[in-house]
Amino acid sequence: MAESKPMNPLEMVAYVLSRQVNDHEVVYIGTGLPMVAAILAKKTHAPHITFVYESGGQDPIAGGMPWSVGGPETYRKSPMIMEMAYSFGQAACGLVDTGFLGFAQLDMYGNANTTMIGDNFLNPKVRLTGSGGNNDVGSLCEKLVFVGIQSPQKFVQKCDFITTTGHMVDGVSRKDLGILGGGPVAVVSTAGVYDFDPETRRMRIKTLHPGVSADLAQLASGFELLRPKGEIPVTEVPTKEILEILRHEVDPQGFFISMPGA
Amino acid sequence: MKFSYNQEAVKNLKIENTSILDRLVDYRHARDWRQKKDHSQRDKRMSHREAIAEFVSDGDIWYCGGFGYVRTSIQSDWEVIRQGKKNLQSIGSPNTNQSYGVTFGNMPFTHASYAGAEMRGYDKYFSDNVKKGKVKILSDWSHGLMALGFKAAQLGVPGLYSKSGLGSDLVKYNPYIKVLNNPMVDGNDPCVFVPALFPDVACIHVHAADKFGNARIAGPAVNDIAAAAATRKLIITAEEIVSNTDIRWNNKGVVIPFQNVDAVVELPYGALPGYMPGAYYWARRWWEKCFVMMSEGDAAMEAFIKEWILGTKDIYEVVKKLGGVDFMINNKRLAKAAEADNEDDGVNFKYEPWNPNTPPNVFD
Repeated sequence: MAESKPMNPLEMVAYVLSRQVNDHEVVYIGTGLPMVAAILAKKTHAPHITFVYESGGQDPIAGGMPWSVGGPETYRKSPMIMEMAYSFGQAACGLVDTGFLGFAQLDMYGNANTTMIGDNFLNPKVRLTGSGGNNDVGSLCEKLVFVGIQSPQKFVQKCDFITTTGHMVDGVSRKDLGILGGGPVAVVSTAGVYDFDPETRRMRIKTLHPGVSADLAQLASGFELLRPKGEIPVTEVPTKEILEILRHEVDPQGFFISMPGA
Repeated sequence: MKFSYNQEAVKNLKIENTSILDRLVDYRHARDWRQKKDHSQRDKRMSHREAIAEFVSDGDIWYCGGFGYVRTSIQSDWEVIRQGKKNLQSIGSPNTNQSYGVTFGNMPFTHASYAGAEMRGYDKYFSDNVKKGKVKILSDWSHGLMALGFKAAQLGVPGLYSKSGLGSDLVKYNPYIKVLNNPMVDGNDPCVFVPALFPDVACIHVHAADKFGNARIAGPAVNDIAAAAATRKLIITAEEIVSNTDIRWNNKGVVIPFQNVDAVVELPYGALPGYMPGAYYWARRWWEKCFVMMSEGDAAMEAFIKEWILGTKDIYEVVKKLGGVDFMINNKRLAKAAEADNEDDGVNFKYEPWNPNTPPNVFD
């Protein structure tokens, strides 16, 4: 095989996210990087995970990279295919372990926005996709992992719209809001991996990617990132072998791991 | 019936006259409508043109079945546009294919849940038209909440309590949903109440149906089983019309019973340019071109719609434009391989992105 290209940030994120997948879990997979990461996890350290997708597909046999959470790869020879209401119902009933979701904005409590950017819902700067299953996966799964690019425009003091509730909204906790599950356990970004402080429920640096200092990560955030006591570990990077699997077996057409314009 | 909408949402969405919201939740009206129908087992076959002309009225709440690009009734969206139906309210999880209906005012209202192309991000054209007011959002949903609304209708109950949506801004921008305490719990247990949802007309594309309307599908049903029971009027378009005996002997996947159905239309390739489970792959380069046109704005989309929708008479012309027999053979092969219905060894899923130099009629 030819000398491999240097790893791009999305490939790093996909790998780091894949490490958040625990073997033997049932995982609810949102579109984009979550699909890439979960498939990579299944091909590497977590071969016994079961996929659940909102369109109803679950537990497909291995195939290509789905271009949609409704694509044939999401229900490829599935033992059965659920209706959408039943698919989310499984999460509400306690049969799904972890949900994996993207975001356009995320605040320090892990509340996410995929609906709109701007201060006027009726005349937004940008109307984004809307919730899709984001709110439901976030509200119904036991654990939640977010993934996305980090910048001050994306890690925000306050989401322009809360599509998906994390740990706290306006001082009211997830539990008091009546929501199921424990909420976000991790955020994987282009700068590092974050968890949530058990007391304040605020986002806290867990590891930083190679070359990223805590100050640099802070510069790329619109809110104060909590820092753990002691030295902050460096995020593990993928081996050459895993990068090859990612590029050639998981997303060979680069639907989700090619950098825009590259 | 008078309805008690979520007033905060009505205010936030600036809906001056809430009567526009009523039919979606008017279960008595929906029941009366269907009670008055002829429930007999009778031949409901008609042409696609006749079915859309007869059963889609201006101002209807329009449900387009399937999921994004998968078994979606895109060809029915297109026929609605060809016939110049106006002021429809689009509803579906997702509502990916609403954008074509915006340009000429066919579908200016939306009950939004997801508009976008997953691998290419949000729908810029939809976004621009929300900003310009050419699309008016009447309610904003999550997939799960909307799915429960259709499911409640199918179950024949006025609504369901859910644990989705709590704490989010969806409850501030959706007049239909309300945060209520669980009446069974003594103490704090907020839930989101979702009313049963009743579209006026649904178009659902299926693999096979008999002339009465019993319909069989493969792949994800998504919300179509529930929506077929919820809707006042139902048009079934089918890859193939089969005998009633065939439906009985091969009843795996028969999920829509005849009495829900008003029209049965033979419409082979009716999910194009999208995907039909087990049957044909989506027209990827067509979508790529569509995304490019969407990002270029009104003039480009007008020309695109004039070429592809208004400029074609029916599905036969659409298939020819997509590449005809070559397209059909290749895309059947890809679908069989994608689903592991056949070997995928040696089947090449690579394709060239669309660009202005792509030859015409090459939309694999």
